[in-house]
Amino acid sequence: MPRLLVGLLLSLLIPGTASRLSAADAPLTYEGDIRPILRTHCFDCHGAEKEKRGKLDLRLRRLMVAGGEGGPAIVPGSPQKSRLLARLTAGEMPPGDKKVPAAEIETIRKWIAAGAPTARPEPDRLPDGLGITPEERSWWSFIPLKRPVVPAHDASQRIRTPIDALLKQAMGDRRLGFSPDADSRTLARRAYLDLLGRPPTPEELAAFVADTASDAWERLIDRLLANPQYGERWGRHWLDIAGYADSEGVTNKDVVRSEAWKFRDYVIRAINANRRFDRFITEQLAGDELLKGSRDKLDAGGVELMTATGFLRMAADGTGSGADGPAARNQVVSDTLKIVSTALMGVSLGCAQCHDHRYDPISQDDYYRIRAVFEPALNPAAWKNPGQRKLSLYDDTKKARAASIETEAKTLEGQRNKKRDTYIAQALAKELAGFDEPLRGKLKAAKATADKKRSAEQKALLKKYPKLNVTGGNLYQYNQKHADEIKAFDKRIQAIRSRKPKQEFLRVLMEVPGQVPVTKLFHRGDHRQPRHEVAPGGLTVTAPDGQRLVIEPNDKKRPSTGRRLAWARWLTSGRHPLVGRALVNRIWMHHFGRGLVNTPGEFGKMGEKPTHPVLLDWLATEFADSGWNLKRFHRLIMSSTVYRQVSTHSDAFATDDPENIFYWRKPVFRMDAETIRDSILAVNGRLITKFYGPPVPVKEDAVGQIVIGIDKKAASNRPGNDIPLKGEDLRRSVYIQVRRSRPLAMLRTFDAPVMETNCDRRVPSTSASQSLMMMNSKFILDSSQDFATRLGGTVPSWVTVPDGLTGITTDEQRLTARRVAWAWHLAYHRSPANDELVAAMAFLADQLDFIKKNPDQQKGSKIPSKVLVLVNLCQALLGSNEFLYID
Amino acid sequence: MTDSPATPLELTSRRQFLNRNALGLGTVALATLLKDENLLATPKDIPRGPRSFDLLPKQTHHAPRAQAMISLFMHGGPSHMDLFDPKPELTKHDGKDYPGNITYSFVKRASKRLLGSPWKFRPRGECGTEMSELVPHIAGVADDICLVRSMHTNINGHESSIWYMNTGRSQPGRPALGSWLTYGLGSEAQDLPSYVVMPDPSGHPVDGVRNWSNGWLPPLFQGTVIRSRQPRILNLQPPKHLVGELQQKNLTFLAALNRRHLEQHRGEADLEARIASYELAARMQTSARDVLDVSKETKATQDLYGIHEDGTREYGTRCLIARRLIERGVRFVQLFLNYQPWDNHSNIRASLPSICRKTDKPSAGLVKDLKQRGLLDQTIVHWGGEIGRLPVIENHGDIKKCGRDHNGQGFSTWFAGGGFKAGIAYGQTDEFGHRSVVDKVSPHDYQATLLHLFGIDHRQLKYLYNAQDQMLTDHKDCRVVRDILV
Repeated sequence: MPRLLVGLLLSLLIPGTASRLSAADAPLTYEGDIRPILRTHCFDCHGAEKEKRGKLDLRLRRLMVAGGEGGPAIVPGSPQKSRLLARLTAGEMPPGDKKVPAAEIETIRKWIAAGAPTARPEPDRLPDGLGITPEERSWWSFIPLKRPVVPAHDASQRIRTPIDALLKQAMGDRRLGFSPDADSRTLARRAYLDLLGRPPTPEELAAFVADTASDAWERLIDRLLANPQYGERWGRHWLDIAGYADSEGVTNKDVVRSEAWKFRDYVIRAINANRRFDRFITEQLAGDELLKGSRDKLDAGGVELMTATGFLRMAADGTGSGADGPAARNQVVSDTLKIVSTALMGVSLGCAQCHDHRYDPISQDDYYRIRAVFEPALNPAAWKNPGQRKLSLYDDTKKARAASIETEAKTLEGQRNKKRDTYIAQALAKELAGFDEPLRGKLKAAKATADKKRSAEQKALLKKYPKLNVTGGNLYQYNQKHADEIKAFDKRIQAIRSRKPKQEFLRVLMEVPGQVPVTKLFHRGDHRQPRHEVAPGGLTVTAPDGQRLVIEPNDKKRPSTGRRLAWARWLTSGRHPLVGRALVNRIWMHHFGRGLVNTPGEFGKMGEKPTHPVLLDWLATEFADSGWNLKRFHRLIMSSTVYRQVSTHSDAFATDDPENIFYWRKPVFRMDAETIRDSILAVNGRLITKFYGPPVPVKEDAVGQIVIGIDKKAASNRPGNDIPLKGEDLRRSVYIQVRRSRPLAMLRTFDAPVMETNCDRRVPSTSASQSLMMMNSKFILDSSQDFATRLGGTVPSWVTVPDGLTGITTDEQRLTARRVAWAWHLAYHRSPANDELVAAMAFLADQLDFIKKNPDQQKGSKIPSKVLVLVNLCQALLGSNEFLYID
Repeated sequence: MTDSPATPLELTSRRQFLNRNALGLGTVALATLLKDENLLATPKDIPRGPRSFDLLPKQTHHAPRAQAMISLFMHGGPSHMDLFDPKPELTKHDGKDYPGNITYSFVKRASKRLLGSPWKFRPRGECGTEMSELVPHIAGVADDICLVRSMHTNINGHESSIWYMNTGRSQPGRPALGSWLTYGLGSEAQDLPSYVVMPDPSGHPVDGVRNWSNGWLPPLFQGTVIRSRQPRILNLQPPKHLVGELQQKNLTFLAALNRRHLEQHRGEADLEARIASYELAARMQTSARDVLDVSKETKATQDLYGIHEDGTREYGTRCLIARRLIERGVRFVQLFLNYQPWDNHSNIRASLPSICRKTDKPSAGLVKDLKQRGLLDQTIVHWGGEIGRLPVIENHGDIKKCGRDHNGQGFSTWFAGGGFKAGIAYGQTDEFGHRSVVDKVSPHDYQATLLHLFGIDHRQLKYLYNAQDQMLTDHKDCRVVRDILV
């Protein structure tokens, strides 16, 4: 227990504190210790803005000594006389509920008592704003990337790659080392699940095991990277941080985005094509600005570029489905910025939307500089709702044909409107008839007057009798028959329009040429309080002092402003301190189940520090230096010893590092939700490899679970009947519709994200509801049966069982035993050990015996008992840890 | 190891497992230990989501008054001026026009004609709180009730107001109150889910399953539905051909497979936790069957809930099950009605008494039963909906067929037990009952107050989602309504 407790305590020494502990005796300084506290609690009123409350500025020690209206804030050497301390201690400052923690007040007291030292002489002049101190610049994620020196090493230490060398170096003189390489079956299963998101087939596995060449592993990785299922798997990772969803969210309707899947397919294709990652990012941020020709006549490459901008259209957007208005529009912009910043930079800019960031050196101006990059395309003042942002792929012939059909529809629409107006008038007349004169006459006159021309008296009169407000929408409340008749018109009009040549659309982001809005900082983040103008640019802290990226507000060489392209170029320049670190951290996380930084969307002070900062920086520089080549990067990681070692326990190493912080073994982690579902289908031999296309629909079933199915809703949000799916239900999970309000129960239970904005990390949970799902859900029961059906077929001849085992004597038993062994191969990718085989046979016999003695229970069951026991065995395998976890 | 970096994932899951099983060192004890040594290094106001999630009981911010809550959700907008909020002025002006502005939902049938309550009110119990003849049984426990007459959402729509009351924002997609409570408090139930929902056997409420969604909180905190027919709990019971010993044999075999795998991965907390979760799931099967079996109750208890009367049997049974659940440590139970029976747009003279008959006796029976068992003190009973109704008629031609339209500006809700004052009426609507005017209580006040009774400071119960600090009360100004608490 003591050892564990030490571990526990360490785990709680979260960022910012570990280093401080070791430096506990160093003298406190304003810049290093006091300013961060004041930044968090005081600078909003006493520093960030030009006007300082009470004329008190806390941004420098000397300004604190000078004080404000209330006199000096501090008297160095004398905490008792320091007003600042008294106000903090009394809880008078800061105002509001949030108070400065006692420990921090104590730090301030000590600092004042020590004479309030500074780290260096303070500047004579101080520009407005908080500026960035050298201390703030030295935060690990803001330090400019520099390629670390890889220590010298030799193969005898089992160091295959610089990754191993750096990890070995981190182990230092602890009694740690790498564990032995895993056997080829384990490695193959690991690699398949990792790169393709499904286990190998027995044939694939056999081919690898039989390959005794020295480069068999490398060639396996190459084969997997060339398999298009790789794009489905790694595309899904990207879709998480892009916040991919097939619906708009925000409103109750959660309307479907009918073109979102094209972006999903773009991602899968680009990953499969091993698009250079800098290019991949640039296309998504500025595909429209890379376009050579016109948007109206796109070639295949142009379609690709425009589709890529769908990345910037992933944020929830209710502006076309009932939630329009300045607040809703601005929400779309800020959510988009959130997606972009967490995905590409590993920081949440959101905190700087309302005020300077309280922990990190990101000013409110910085936030609006980034916002200005996007505003020409996401302009709340000239907003386009999702429907208006669609880009049509019509050609001229189709356009003409569609236009003529539209004319026809319009004609009929005219007739309908005429009829509708007549009916409205009739309904109104009937209602009016219920009134006596002279009121009737007055009402009639008021109704006959156009809205805008009505007198105040008339308006008041009509307001008093709201039932006179007959409209096309509420006509049914007055005369159902008339309303139905209008509805019938609508049907005909719809039928005409449905004859139009199928028009394909893309979900894109693009600017309106010539429209260059002025971006203003919003006071307190409130769009109703715009303040000074802010020009597009980069985050100040990401460039050396005084060298912040300045973006030309309007690049005259192109129809659009070119802002996003310029920003994308800077992000992918290889010099941006955040981008490379954020990307490689995620790649590492997907290979090892945890990131080198455990908060992949938060690289600031609110996140955790890297466990291996040197390795992280080496990987980040390596990624950029080697051409942003993702496939090459997989090869690098997977050919390392750290990846290839076993995941099993070792007493020797566990003593020094029980938590495997130093990677002395491969971490074991659970498959993610999609991999579980896809793997079960693959083991059953039922997984359909149909690539791309519109999503597989989901619906609410009779008990309220979200399942795969075509939604035929009854009235008032309640479920309808089943419709055949024709194999769509057996496709990979990446193709299942991501309706924000309806996450598939099976995937959600195993921690697939609910897309509100985006998902920067999946937090795996272990719950009884998962177990119940694996015990009793229709999905698992059906799947177990499919698995057993597969076992009941031909067992490959190479699946054999040893002679002389208990319970395996007759031919029938031998065949059953071979089926069991086959199951082991399919689910676990290994032969069962002899004792496992014997135990499994005993299990089957015991079950069969029980069923024979209790025949009543099976009455009405369609499954023969011999099959049933095999189904049960299959279910146990699919629910077991060896299946669900990646060793 | 002092210079070793902060440790990720595994350590916390190990911690999670340790707490759950081996050492008996609970989270509370551990947190206290660390706090004493001043090693809880994260400043309190840095929002930070936990790094792994469990259902262990959590340390509260202050001593809790309530251990459990049963929410009888009354969908549709119970007509407060006909049930709990007497309006003599309204009666006096019956048939005359309402003098101010009204926001209607159904304009075609809008009217300004005031409708005095067709039902009689009188003072009840020793406290003298006035209630209507429509709810004689609830009126019978008036001395145990804390009646709030000044609720408001200021939104007329059903769904929007439900989301507001239940999730803190009038938009879909956020976690429900029960999820927040489970997240903040953990579970006291050994082998039952902590957050249970019981929909009506005739159908889901308006907005369906979203009423008990965990939103973006981990699925661990989702409401578990107990249905009125098999399967009572989704995925809880195996199909008939597996029930009982056969599935037990399956699980034994599965456990053997898992143990063998674990031998090679000693100390892997995640694997151990999954083994434990199968055991928990199996225990749930037995205990759930037991808790749902109301035949184990005495006739006298069953009669309290009206289980032997046709009109109240169904709702009474669910109320009784709710009590049995919280007795076994379930934290939050919410009962729903089919669609929205309190939405009395028309024919209120018949439709309102009908839904009252269904719910009145069981609701009151629940309060009585909890009280006689000494459970009321630590159990909050909540009775209420998302909106109220207008003092004017909704016009369906014949005055006999009239109803009342939606009213989000003022309505009544009552509580009993769990730290609420008994026998009081709090807050007021205007003279006609349209708007809440005195001691107004918003949905956020309601949420902050409930959390407070559970020992939680609503400003401290946070979840880091999308790099933002999320709260049930959504960072809005609100208050714990201390005047109604003991």
